[in-house]
Amino acid sequence: MSDTLVPGPRPGPPYRAVRRRWAAAGLALALLVAATGCTGSRERTAATEPTGDATPVAVTGPLCAALPSGAEPGSPGSLVGLPPDRALTWIPVLTTFEAAVRATGMAGELSATAGVTILAPTDDAFRARFSTANLDQLLLKETDTLRALLREHLATGARPVAELVAAGTVTTRAGSTLAVTAAGSGARVADRAETVCADYRAAGARIHVIDEVLGDLPVTAHEEEHHH
Amino acid sequence: MILKNRGLSANGGPGAGVLGASSHPSCLEIPLRYGRTTAGVFAALLAAALVATAVPAQAQGQPGTARQQAEPNQVQDLTVVQGDGYATLAWTRVEGATDYQIERTPLAADGTPGTPVIAGVWRPNRQVNNDEPTFADAGFAPGNDFRWRVRARSGTETRPYSAPVGGTTRGHWGDPGTPGESLRTQWEETLGAQYTSDVDEYAYTAAIDAASDRVRVVEIGRTLQDRPINMLVIGYPRPPATPQAVAATNPLMVNCNVHGNEPGDREACLIMARQLAFTRDDRTLALLSRTTMLIVPTLNGDGRAANTRGNSTGQDLNRDYSLIRQPETRSLVEMVRDYRPVAGYDGHEYGNSNTGDLPMLPPRHQNVAQGVFDESQKMIEGHMYTQGARDGWWACPYGCTAGATVGLSEETILRNTLGLKNVVNSLLELRSSGGPTRPDETNTANNRRRKTYSALWTFHEFLRYHGANVGSITRARAEGITSQSANEGRIVFRGSREIEAYPAPHPGEAPPPVDAPTPERILEQPPCAYRLTEEQYHGERTDGPTGQRTTVARRLAAHGWKVIKVADGYLVPLAQPERGLIPLLLDEQAVEGLVAGERVAPTLTGTRNGPLVVSGLACLDGATVRGPVQVQPGAALIVNGSSISGPVNATGAAGVVVTDSTVAGPVLATATRGPVVLVGNDVTGPVGVVASSGVAPLVAGNTVRGPLACAGNSPAPVNLEVANSARGLATGQCARL
Repeated sequence: MSDTLVPGPRPGPPYRAVRRRWAAAGLALALLVAATGCTGSRERTAATEPTGDATPVAVTGPLCAALPSGAEPGSPGSLVGLPPDRALTWIPVLTTFEAAVRATGMAGELSATAGVTILAPTDDAFRARFSTANLDQLLLKETDTLRALLREHLATGARPVAELVAAGTVTTRAGSTLAVTAAGSGARVADRAETVCADYRAAGARIHVIDEVLGDLPVTAHEEEHHH
Repeated sequence: MILKNRGLSANGGPGAGVLGASSHPSCLEIPLRYGRTTAGVFAALLAAALVATAVPAQAQGQPGTARQQAEPNQVQDLTVVQGDGYATLAWTRVEGATDYQIERTPLAADGTPGTPVIAGVWRPNRQVNNDEPTFADAGFAPGNDFRWRVRARSGTETRPYSAPVGGTTRGHWGDPGTPGESLRTQWEETLGAQYTSDVDEYAYTAAIDAASDRVRVVEIGRTLQDRPINMLVIGYPRPPATPQAVAATNPLMVNCNVHGNEPGDREACLIMARQLAFTRDDRTLALLSRTTMLIVPTLNGDGRAANTRGNSTGQDLNRDYSLIRQPETRSLVEMVRDYRPVAGYDGHEYGNSNTGDLPMLPPRHQNVAQGVFDESQKMIEGHMYTQGARDGWWACPYGCTAGATVGLSEETILRNTLGLKNVVNSLLELRSSGGPTRPDETNTANNRRRKTYSALWTFHEFLRYHGANVGSITRARAEGITSQSANEGRIVFRGSREIEAYPAPHPGEAPPPVDAPTPERILEQPPCAYRLTEEQYHGERTDGPTGQRTTVARRLAAHGWKVIKVADGYLVPLAQPERGLIPLLLDEQAVEGLVAGERVAPTLTGTRNGPLVVSGLACLDGATVRGPVQVQPGAALIVNGSSISGPVNATGAAGVVVTDSTVAGPVLATATRGPVVLVGNDVTGPVGVVASSGVAPLVAGNTVRGPLACAGNSPAPVNLEVANSARGLATGQCARL
């Protein structure tokens, strides 16, 4: 929390460093673009997509305080207009989930016109479930299995967490129906995963970050030692 | 209250950020940490003074007065020194303290404090010198203002906090108003929310290359998915033009990203490239004027893009550096062959949250030359541990988790592969999560920044260490090359030298695991050479990715090994600089071998009186020949640790290898059609290497009591920077060897 510089619970004037840093970053980017002529790349555009706290978005959950907020790149407000797959690239605890979306070519599925609810497990959740070797296998070779796993985390319609709780169940794109109960300001899903930062909004989507991987793939995390 | 600057500033040496600021009037508008104006400094001092007045009376005052007013067991003499992305806190130890808590409070522009957090916990196992505790606080957003306090704990009982110190942390390195310096990575621009993408890396490094004479970006290969594998070649005022010329500067290398899901080191490499390209720091420029730094930001670009450990086939590339089945590892091995770095670091992240910030480990494989191992340990324990204690980083041996089976002797791991290639080097791990000693890292950006800036610290220390110790590093390397070429002593297929638990026995931790060789992993009488059949050497392989499979011939060439073509196959003599690695790929007992070559035993180990005429193959090991040696056209001669009284003459030979031997009389190799290797010999009489073709003759570390003459060889002879000593004139292609 020391440097997230979130306006809100902490009183006090705005922090000057953030504002000026953005000016500097913008200048740096302009110079980089000028120096390289590299203006059209997708990634370049992505890096500058969020433009700050355009829209106030109330996310909820214990992890939110540790994620980008306020005027920081990747803050909830900055993701509102982005396609869901792009929004995922800005939530720093979702690198595995985001890579899985790309590996399975599911960006289109996340942008379905009916809207989508994404229950996105954190990197820690993936590490607790799968060994590194198993994750590599899923990302590189068993993408059908991975796609099925991701669909366990998707539901039709962009639904706020309160709405999921009120409904009491949610049916995933994989066809399973999961119980949803209230847990703190968020939800407990399938009696195993809890939302740790819920109600991110992207274009046609709600993203709820959860702390456990759903579905029934076997736990393989214990099969490895961490090694170089 | 002490405000200091340390390390690389844009404007000059340590602390020069203030003095040099006047050269950057544009910084008036953009008061980041570097290039601060005098006004900016006064503003910071003023803000810090305001802070001091806002804290309770007991904690106020200057150092000195604080001591007089101290409560019992209150931490005294707290100072802060800013580095790039970290702040070193130092204080006087409190008797009876079991640990210390480091508190960090963000400050608004007007000095209003935000919410304090415990950013760090200092433990007694943290550093080599427990009498002078230091802690590198990191993870905060660069350029912001903070104040810090430290308190001791005895068990769970807390002692009073110290008086606070305040400071403005350094912003992203480089003046935003100065072209080049103003470049930023995607990771910096997004404040750690995103890692730098492949496309952004290429644009960023190309921009550095374009803006700085000191940097040349070269493509050393392509990944399986055809991503360029780039290397930044950095020298001052400009890097030498060719790999051979770079090799002559005793370069150092950093491999930044072999596991795609461990990206922290890579971001440090990209920042360091910018610093080296544009710094005006005299010490750094002096270092770069004497050597060349080689930075490979992303060896595994496909894995980085996919966020996988392995490459696009799932192969763990750090289990492939000896076998080089994959194009990525082969690219790096060929780079090492051509640029010949003398020292290296290999960057990783690891999952144990309870041990050091910066676990390191030398090449432990017992086939690594003793001096190369010793120098690597000297760099790690002698330099990184002590400098870590000075700057507050916690370096320690990798593998110190009790029961761990990591950090062993696999020659497939770059750390060991490089050691077996006589490169002084270390593994570097960045602890993945903050764990109990860095409790503020549930914030992902904080965690990412700490990792990257700790890597940046390490790579700068590596450059400094290399500059100060290049003499002993190159001596160790030269001894490694000559001792390996002697083909003396046993071969171990797997087995490590021991590493001590250091700096301290960590509670719940152990030394890196003992990895002594078992009897079946030892070869007491190594052969003279391995003989490979045509099928083994040139035959199709089934290992490696479809469409990019390579032959044994190609892989041995990538390693730079000498191979002698003889009538019945291909001989790979052990008497060459990478001798310790050769049996690990070519012996039938190898644990992860490439092919089971036939062991070729010495043909002569005793004494021979009279002339020796060689047709076919002669291999002398510890032999004495009293008479001349004549090698017939098409024949091969290998001599290790022998004594020959009489001339050695070879014309049109398939190969001539003489190492660690004494020869009375001229040694003349003319029109050799394969390798010529003359290493570590004592020759009384002239030495001539003439008109050989195919591979560069290796003439290194010989004492020649007579003239040394080389002519008409294509390619020209090399000495791998291991000089010969010739009493007579060295002429022709050997004039500079």
